[in-house]
Amino acid sequence: MTGEFTNITTLINWWMPGAAALVGAVTLAIVILLRKRRARDDAPSVPIAHADRLTALPSYRRALRRYRALLVGSIAAVLIAVLAGVALAARPAAPALAQPELATRDIVLCLDVSGSMVDYDAQIVDVFAELSSQFSGERLSLVLFNASAVTYFPLSSDYAYITRQLERIRETFETPDETIESGTLLGDGSSLIGDGLASCTLRFDTPEAERSRSIILATDNLVAGDSIYTLPEAGQLAIEKDIRVYGINPGDTLARDYLADLAEEFRTVTEGTGGTYYALDDPDAVPGIVERITAEQAAALPGAPELILGDQPRLPFVLLLLGVLATLVLQWRLRR
Amino acid sequence: MTSLLRRVKTKLAIHAHRRVRGLLDGEYRSIFHGRTIEFDDLRPYVAGDEPRDIDWKATARHGAPLVRRYIATRKQTVLLLVDTGRNMAALAESGETKSELSVLATGIIGYLALKHGDRLVLVSGDAEHTKFEPPASTEAALERLLRQIDSATTLQAPRSDLTRLLQFVAKSFTRRMIVLVVADDRALGETEARLLRRLSVQHEILWLSVGDADLLAEQWAGQRMHDVATSVALPMYLRADPALRADFDRSVAERRDRNEALFARLRISSARLGSTVDVVPSLLRLLELHRHAKR
Repeated sequence: MTGEFTNITTLINWWMPGAAALVGAVTLAIVILLRKRRARDDAPSVPIAHADRLTALPSYRRALRRYRALLVGSIAAVLIAVLAGVALAARPAAPALAQPELATRDIVLCLDVSGSMVDYDAQIVDVFAELSSQFSGERLSLVLFNASAVTYFPLSSDYAYITRQLERIRETFETPDETIESGTLLGDGSSLIGDGLASCTLRFDTPEAERSRSIILATDNLVAGDSIYTLPEAGQLAIEKDIRVYGINPGDTLARDYLADLAEEFRTVTEGTGGTYYALDDPDAVPGIVERITAEQAAALPGAPELILGDQPRLPFVLLLLGVLATLVLQWRLRR
Repeated sequence: MTSLLRRVKTKLAIHAHRRVRGLLDGEYRSIFHGRTIEFDDLRPYVAGDEPRDIDWKATARHGAPLVRRYIATRKQTVLLLVDTGRNMAALAESGETKSELSVLATGIIGYLALKHGDRLVLVSGDAEHTKFEPPASTEAALERLLRQIDSATTLQAPRSDLTRLLQFVAKSFTRRMIVLVVADDRALGETEARLLRRLSVQHEILWLSVGDADLLAEQWAGQRMHDVATSVALPMYLRADPALRADFDRSVAERRDRNEALFARLRISSARLGSTVDVVPSLLRLLELHRHAKR
């Protein structure tokens, strides 16, 4: 940082504006001298006498005033254009506070598509379908898993596409006959949560980029079969990759006491990654949860707001345009 | 360099009709010398002679018209008062330089004067010099005078100051002379009017105004233009202004009318020269006017 500053200070010295003014003045003087000499040398001027026959006329004085006003006007217009050009060349910028992380979020919706989860999944999809209209720069991906994980759509900021895809999956959820099993049943058993989460951690395509990564994992953590990764192992994977996992567990209710261990495990894993865990029994509560997740992310992620220098070319550009236009009009008026 | 005088003669020859022949012969004398001069002899009438000069008795005896000839009792001095400041190097109405017209007109009058044995005096100058050339009566001397006028009148010469020349003449000469003033379309103010009044009492004055260029003319609309006296440029933009045309014409006409009114008041015969083509006719008209002017 200091290196850059010293660079800039060695590039711009105190004498430079003065030198620039001097160069400008000398150039102007040379141009004027050359013009004068040329005017004297090769542009013959008609010698006449008694110009007072014309110059003493009141109407001539009026015309002269008008002429001078036009000249002054066109000089002013040229000056404005030049100054605006200089200002443009200097790239005027205005500082702005920005929280760039928010716009560099990658969110993977990791949905357990076993039968009990479909209602909750539908709610999550609904909320994201709505949110995507407010996103700018965030990327969204949808991964469905049961025994194996399937990328429904990869990380993308093409919101029109995302909306279309979310609508399509929404219809699938609502149609009882249709299953979304294709590709999700390839493993040994079903509801392999650990494998599902581990798969989701692999969906982030730019591990080296400075983006915030989070997974919204909707599952009841009811495993049926042998998974390669256990949930804690998958959680460890997420931690290594600096991914927050937000858990939504509809199975964690008092009515299903026997699942308490599973729920506890789920909570530990999500909180271990820096995410939050939500237990709920009402699918209608999902929108609120998702909003809380995104808000929490906003609060947790950005850290210090960043000072961004944004180019502000509008005013000088408009001035330049107006200056050039005025010059053209006035010159046309003078040559008419 | 071709002789300036030859050009003058050529110009006269082109106009060698009756009236010019008359001028070269008897008419000039009748204009400037009057008739109260000693009778010399008779000669056959030629076209252009004053009918008043016909000796009717002799004609009756002879059978063909005879006119009287007179001997000039004294030689006249013609003073050529020529502005050679840089104003005269500017353009005339025709686009020729005003000095061209000035040299031609001076040459014609000078030549006519020489032909009749008169002496020529030149007073020329500008704001810084006044030059006096003592009386001369040869063609070589006239050629020299013309060359002097021609070479002095350049754009590098000092400004014109006709008033100075008039003052010089008023101060320096006590003899009665014929004064030919060659000037331009200048405005004649109080000082000049007073000087002219004073001079017109002593001398016989002929005034030639070389017409100045029309500043708004189409002819030089696309070129730069500057006033030779002040070096001030007249912007093309303003000269193209059609609204100025009428005002300019009026101001030029007013100035001319004012000058002509002054000349009429002081009994000064005047003519305005627009181009070399109409120098001879204009001079003839001037001499005609001068002859008929009441003296």
